[in-house]
Amino acid sequence: MKVLIVEDNKELSESVHDFLVSERFVCEHADSIDSAREKLLFYSYDCVLLDIMLPDGSGLELLRFMQHEKIMSGVLIVSAKDALDDKIAGLDSGGDDYITKPFHLPELHARLRAVYRRKKTEGASLLTCNEITLNINTMEIFVRDSKLDTTPKEFDLLHYFIVNKNRVLSRQSIATHLWGDHTDNLPNFDFIYQHIKNLRKKINALGGADYIETIYGLGYKFNTTTT
Amino acid sequence: MKLLNKITLWFIGVVFLVTPISMYIGLRNIKKAMDQAEINRMIRANDRAASQIQTGDTTNHFTQGRPIQITPFEGPLPEDKVCIEETFKYNEENGNKECLIRVTSYYEIAGYNYQVSSFDYVTKSGEILAGMLHSIFWKMLLIIISLLLCARILSRYIFTPLRHTMKAIKNFNLKGKTTLELRETNTTEFKELNLFLKKMTDKAIEDYASVKEFSENASHELQTPLAILRSKMELLTETRIDESQARLIEEMYKAIDKLSRINRSLLFLTKLENHEFETSQLLDFRNSAREVLGMYEERTSLKKLKITTRLDEKILLKIHPVLAEILLSNLFSNAIRHNYEEGNIEMLLTPDHLVMRNTGTPPKIPTEELFMRFKKGDQCNSGIGLGLSIVKQICQLHSFTVTYSYNEGWHALVIHFNNKAGSKASDIEMRNIKDPVPA
Repeated sequence: MKVLIVEDNKELSESVHDFLVSERFVCEHADSIDSAREKLLFYSYDCVLLDIMLPDGSGLELLRFMQHEKIMSGVLIVSAKDALDDKIAGLDSGGDDYITKPFHLPELHARLRAVYRRKKTEGASLLTCNEITLNINTMEIFVRDSKLDTTPKEFDLLHYFIVNKNRVLSRQSIATHLWGDHTDNLPNFDFIYQHIKNLRKKINALGGADYIETIYGLGYKFNTTTT
Repeated sequence: MKLLNKITLWFIGVVFLVTPISMYIGLRNIKKAMDQAEINRMIRANDRAASQIQTGDTTNHFTQGRPIQITPFEGPLPEDKVCIEETFKYNEENGNKECLIRVTSYYEIAGYNYQVSSFDYVTKSGEILAGMLHSIFWKMLLIIISLLLCARILSRYIFTPLRHTMKAIKNFNLKGKTTLELRETNTTEFKELNLFLKKMTDKAIEDYASVKEFSENASHELQTPLAILRSKMELLTETRIDESQARLIEEMYKAIDKLSRINRSLLFLTKLENHEFETSQLLDFRNSAREVLGMYEERTSLKKLKITTRLDEKILLKIHPVLAEILLSNLFSNAIRHNYEEGNIEMLLTPDHLVMRNTGTPPKIPTEELFMRFKKGDQCNSGIGLGLSIVKQICQLHSFTVTYSYNEGWHALVIHFNNKAGSKASDIEMRNIKDPVPA
């Protein structure tokens, strides 16, 4: 997957770049609307990661430019403002999803993949990891070809794990992914543990391996390398 | 009391105070002038009587019928040739006390000394006073009536600029960003007042704008460094780290998380203050309540809380759906967080008010203070202390009243909607009722 990162902050774009490259994405970087415009005209990208506030204008301009030029890349808007109006304006002008700074990198990754998946509607709704298969359209999970009965939250959790497999996922990042901004008032992350415990139990019951590894002090990891 | 009435009253008071004094002075002067006129007349009469004697005219034709006495006088002439005495005498004729003035003049005519004395009754000061009192009554009446009338009529004209100014101030809204427009006036005081108000409001608008801009910018600018921090931290966890490093990273993670939550809450509060969530649509508050209940279901079951809800009827409120959700979820998550294991939560929603009650430990600070920013009942709690101030801000925005009380192990937050929009609205067309989320 080829991604254009439009972000004027060098450190942040480097972080995103490093993270996505390790997911075997091909990343290019533009730090202004002008350079992004140029790159979009000459190359084609599967996804554009677009910061709204850029030194030479608003990211929304670039969205209009893309619509005008009929550039069909998926767009994930990144903004420091989580104002509702911005969100609506961004999605109206052709953005596919919206994420607010400061974001979690695995979250960004999951969303990018989702945007990409939605753009390429032909197939790609099946996500497979060894013996576990997720059907994203029907929200069904199959372990060794038998259906796993899960709650929507558990599906989301497993999906997030598999998209970000072999990565340490912090509890905060999992909570934000599953509950969005409502984690604001959470005193602890016990409920994540509860979900993970249930998910493990269910996968084991169908003969799946225990991939979910607890990383002390940090969170969890969906480890497909050791088993 | 109206300024006008106050001034009028004071004015009348002063008139009442000054009138007796001026009356007294007037009375004295009139009495004096009258007496003096009488005295002068009598002195002249005495002189003429004396000149008659001098010419040897012994006929009594001048003295006749006049209260004049001419008596020869033994001894030397007194130094004062004219002597005046005023006495009160009881008059037998009309049974009244009368004021008598006697003027005695001394003459030396042809070697003999004569004493010519004439007298007359003059008007008493009491009689003058009676007359004056009568006139004073009418005078006062006239003054008061004309004062009241003039005040009413003139004030309408004089106070017009002030009324305009007051109306302008009343309609002035700091958040409206429009400067105060005041009418021209030629009254110095009002001119000064208008100038002062204009300066003050312009300054306030300017300050407000800069403070707002600062807090907005500060919050926005903080988001990017926070994003960098968080992303670098996430990359760091991908590297080879041992347990002690992991512990350090976790602590940093928590701190970053808290920082970004505080930042987001502050940003949200600023937005609330900027009235960025205005809506004209009515929202069924009961649906929001059900949604929030559903959202927190797993967390309540984790803490084994017993939840009792009474969501009677459809409750239409003019509130932005986002705000309704934030309001309810702040209340609800507080009720969960500050609860015991296997505690209770009660939620009662009526057209008039919302009551959230939960069991919990007694608050350590006065409950009203919990609405202040960064005030927490328990300082080591992981909360950021902005939840209730957001609740309060939302309530203020919609003119709801919110109170917090603690009684016998129960915390109770009551929000009165002061809802006049018609809570039992039967018009279903107004809003599509969503499928109720099971509570």
